[in-house]
Amino acid sequence: MATQKTIEDTRRFAGMVASKQGWTLNPDAEFTGTLIEGLTTNWNRYGYYLCPCRDTEGSREADASVICPCRYAREDVAEYGHCFCALYLRPDFAASGSEIRGIPDRRNSG
Amino acid sequence: MLDTLEYTKVEGENKKHTVTVYALSTCGFCKRALAFLDTHKFEYSYIYMDKIPLETKTEAKKILKEKFKQDVAFPFAVVDDREPLVGFIEADWKRTLEV
Repeated sequence: MATQKTIEDTRRFAGMVASKQGWTLNPDAEFTGTLIEGLTTNWNRYGYYLCPCRDTEGSREADASVICPCRYAREDVAEYGHCFCALYLRPDFAASGSEIRGIPDRRNSG
Repeated sequence: MLDTLEYTKVEGENKKHTVTVYALSTCGFCKRALAFLDTHKFEYSYIYMDKIPLETKTEAKKILKEKFKQDVAFPFAVVDDREPLVGFIEADWKRTLEV
């Protein structure tokens, strides 16, 4: 099992991903806190950052497309303004104060 | 098989609909969905699918998908044992649950 992660480790990770991709972390601190906690839980359960809003299919290989940042995040951020779990937002979407909402899971559409 | 899962029941004065929520304990939208039901005082049952054995979860998802002709994403709510609500879009939940 990989080394355990702390909430702070995960917060740093998410901040680095956002910065690298040109995204903004969701400014809703409570919502983001839930996701950071969820990601941390998933790392400590599975050994990788499984998206907090997706369930495992049993292995890293099967979950490869939904390890944070997931394979669909770029497309979702571009189309909907945020990724599937709404941790990462498009900067203009975040600035507009638009409401995040459940979006279709591209994982299911193959 | 869905009947044999161990749901957590939340009491509430609004019993207009029977609501069962399949959720993930790690998910922000699932948390919002349950908070929505609490805010509107619904009585409902929920289960965290990430906290049950993988085989059980896989079987439950298969049954839900076949029964409701919907891919399972979370939160997945079943209203009155017939209408699925997939993902949390507050306007949809309000309309379906009549609040």
